[in-house]
Amino acid sequence: MSPVSATYWGIPGYVIFWVLFVIAAGLFAKRIYFLFRLMRLGKQENRFDHMGQRIKNVLFVILPQWCTLRSVTKKDLAGIGHALLFWGFSCFLVSYIVFIGLAEGFGLYPWLMGNNFETVFSSILDIAGLCVMAAMIWAAIRRYIVRPERLELSVEAGVIMVLVFSLMVLHFGIEGFGLAGSGETTNWPPIGSVIANYLSSTGISKNTLITVSQGAWWLHYLVILGFTVYIPRSKHLHILASGANILFKPLASKVVLEPIPLEALEAMESEGSVDLGASKIQDFTWKDLLDLYACTVCGRCHVSCPAHVSGKTLSPKEVIHDLKEHLLEEGPGLLAGNAQATSESPAKTMIGDVIAEEDIWACTTCGACQEVCPVDIEHVRKIIKMRQNLVLAQNKMPESAQLMLRNMQTRGNPWAGAQSLRLRGDWTHDMGLKILGQYEGRVDTLFWVGCTGALIDRNVEATLSLTRVLKAAGVDFGVLGEAEPCCGDPARRAGYEFQFQISAEENIETFKNYNIKKIITSCPHCYNTLKNEYPRYGGDFFEVVHYTELLADLITRGKLKLTNKLNTLLTYHDPCYLSRYNEVFREPRQIIEGIPNAKFKEMERSKNTTFCCGGGGGHMWIEEQHGTTKINHVRMDEVIGTGAETVVTSCPYCLQMLEEGIEQKGVKDSLKAKDLAELVEEAMNQS
Amino acid sequence: MNIIVCVKQVLDPEIPPAKFKIDPETKQVIPPPGVPPVISVYDERAVEAACRLKDKLKGKITVISVGSDKAADVIKHAISMGADEGFVLCDPAFENLDSFGTAYVLSKAIQKIGAYDLVLCGRQAADWGAGQVGSILAEILAIPVITLACDIEGVDTNVRVKRIVSDGYEIVEAPLPSLVTVSSEIGLPRLPAGVRLMMARKKVIPVWKAQDIGAEASQLDKGNAHTEITGLSVPTRKIECEIITGATPGEAAANLASKLANLI
Ligand code: SF4
Ligand code: SF4
Repeated sequence: MSPVSATYWGIPGYVIFWVLFVIAAGLFAKRIYFLFRLMRLGKQENRFDHMGQRIKNVLFVILPQWCTLRSVTKKDLAGIGHALLFWGFSCFLVSYIVFIGLAEGFGLYPWLMGNNFETVFSSILDIAGLCVMAAMIWAAIRRYIVRPERLELSVEAGVIMVLVFSLMVLHFGIEGFGLAGSGETTNWPPIGSVIANYLSSTGISKNTLITVSQGAWWLHYLVILGFTVYIPRSKHLHILASGANILFKPLASKVVLEPIPLEALEAMESEGSVDLGASKIQDFTWKDLLDLYACTVCGRCHVSCPAHVSGKTLSPKEVIHDLKEHLLEEGPGLLAGNAQATSESPAKTMIGDVIAEEDIWACTTCGACQEVCPVDIEHVRKIIKMRQNLVLAQNKMPESAQLMLRNMQTRGNPWAGAQSLRLRGDWTHDMGLKILGQYEGRVDTLFWVGCTGALIDRNVEATLSLTRVLKAAGVDFGVLGEAEPCCGDPARRAGYEFQFQISAEENIETFKNYNIKKIITSCPHCYNTLKNEYPRYGGDFFEVVHYTELLADLITRGKLKLTNKLNTLLTYHDPCYLSRYNEVFREPRQIIEGIPNAKFKEMERSKNTTFCCGGGGGHMWIEEQHGTTKINHVRMDEVIGTGAETVVTSCPYCLQMLEEGIEQKGVKDSLKAKDLAELVEEAMNQS
Repeated sequence: MNIIVCVKQVLDPEIPPAKFKIDPETKQVIPPPGVPPVISVYDERAVEAACRLKDKLKGKITVISVGSDKAADVIKHAISMGADEGFVLCDPAFENLDSFGTAYVLSKAIQKIGAYDLVLCGRQAADWGAGQVGSILAEILAIPVITLACDIEGVDTNVRVKRIVSDGYEIVEAPLPSLVTVSSEIGLPRLPAGVRLMMARKKVIPVWKAQDIGAEASQLDKGNAHTEITGLSVPTRKIECEIITGATPGEAAANLASKLANLI
């Protein structure tokens, strides 16, 4: 007999079933509606484009559990556990709909139960139940016994583990006692039948068996309802939010920064209250707030963050977690309509009390956090938005940042004064280059050198190597020489959005005037900016390639031949803005592998999960805070660990940071840092 | 509160010294290519001082600059920091003026602008460093001058200024209108932020010629100049580097100390 069709103390089971259901569903809906309204406090943002592709992303990422499996490494197998839990629990979820909802709730059990369908489904559930139990035990061991750094002890995790585990135990109990009570002898479902056969052999009366089975059923119904109520009130909200978060993740580039519209600015200026970037929780967009719900507190971002690893106080996990807490704290007040009161004299200021200014400046925008985040949370742009507020509205920034921004604003480049003894066009002397504006003919390919490659002695060497390689391979290109300004990247990462906007508009105008069709960049930061960020400002009429892509192509087409033997052990340091932001990591390896006799050793953190050199996000100029060590020293230890004689990279900042690391670690005699262009020049047939 | 700030556009002082060239014939600096001129550092502080007063007391800031047509850039820079409007004073007759001539042109422009409470200048220009224009300008305008301000403490009917002296500072008051020259101790100028940066860029800066401000040719005649440049050269700097050693860091420090003691 179905547990629901029985009568308990004179009350029909159906009534109890539905009353409990309505209470739980009500509590669930109330919370979800509240969270939804909180999310709507955020600013508008369009993430509804390309819906087809978005849905495909969700299906292809979540169902096969690529979200967690992609971060599985030899040292961190937790993703496998999560996948088992997900697949297993999904089976149960379906079973709850079918066996509880339809069969019991709507009385369809005569059709759904006691037949082959039930036997097959229950057998699947038995296997799924074992997987889930195994995953839970594993998770408990990892949390309470061998706890890796990224996990923190939390009551919430414990509650969920106990609930899920007890659901599985109850499942087997209901099945075993129920089967035994029915008196049938069967071999299916595999676990339930074993339990049933054992129980039958003990001679317990059928009635008792059935009563226990029904009691277990009600208990498990209660646990499921409790689970439903608890989830949106705990960190396990991610079960509901992460799907949506992956659905609305950025498609075009990994870090999406919205332009600040001039009209909005003018309105603010005339009202006399300029509030740019994010100083309050509702200054973020709804997607930023959805991110907060999606966080699973897995800590993957925490252990990948170079700032954290080098002992700074910044932790991307804490940033997300603290913002979520802040949203939940401030939200009810904001929703009640006293937005004014709350925002003008909030109990806590978001910048300062919730997120320390120091932490906002410690981020190198390397994107490691986003790359490993299983639910595609966008940490970097939140940090940049808070920087925007500090720089644009509060005029508060480290002195080193201010110096760099002032140079960008008045001199058009971040390097000035004692930092560079060169002038912009100096490197072009005697190179016989086509300088746009001076050269009479037409060139439609521009070699965009970048500030660092043009101004800093060590980087100019790499620029000259690349220039010679390009010429030897017969590439027809022009340069801007002394007229080449900054692309605007350091300003944008440091929060000085308008300077970036001005740079972008002016540079696009220049490209238009010279009718540029293709741009070769040597700096990955320029590459990312020109390729992914200029299109928003009208710069969509040219192709942008990084030189590593171009050289790999020239080698494939036989235009460039690497014939000189280099008997050396190399390793390659992937620049974040190339390998992670733009997924260019095959080409550099292809080039290195083509060098005769060169041996190659990969570092553990490589390709899209590379480790920052410490120089991105304006940090070439912003002084590094005191931590336990410096970011480039952490990386240098990894380089030294490979035993390589040369560490190759393809970014001017990385090159500087690596050389500084080599110097400070005192390994100058055994290790050199080189730009990939320099290596190619050495390996090239120079007859 | 109406403030007029006089600013000058100079060759970027951050240019590496080796890149300077001088034309011995005309006794002029030849700027290296591709380096845009910038606002003189002290003048930028004068703009900052004006902006701080405006933040507190409201009012209007007008910026003027004697220079080439490129000087519009420094006016725009000042506007992006917080100034309201500005004028470039550009005329062939204004080229290569000495401090007296420059002060005369500025005085004519200030008279054209009309009512003002305070005139601010940098303590000296970052290129020539003569430090004359402010005082001469006050003389022509017949108003008090306070030089080397490190803080403008208050403005009511008087202006109260903290000014640098060799062994500290002193506080001086003068009735309005007055002229104050500002020193770098006033603090870092603000980073132009927000809408001002975008709007300043689009602004058209009016240019005033000699006749617009009623400057008389006789006053601008080079023959009447009070100063004459007899020669111009790039100073040669020699740097000798010696590394002081010692068995322990303490010993190295002691060696360094005795070395320094011998030098004095
Ligand atoms: S972008 Fe890099 S430095 Fe910034 S929070 Fe993420 S991992 Fe840390
Ligand atoms: S932000 Fe992403 S990676 Fe970091 S703890 Fe949350 S879910 Fe994990």
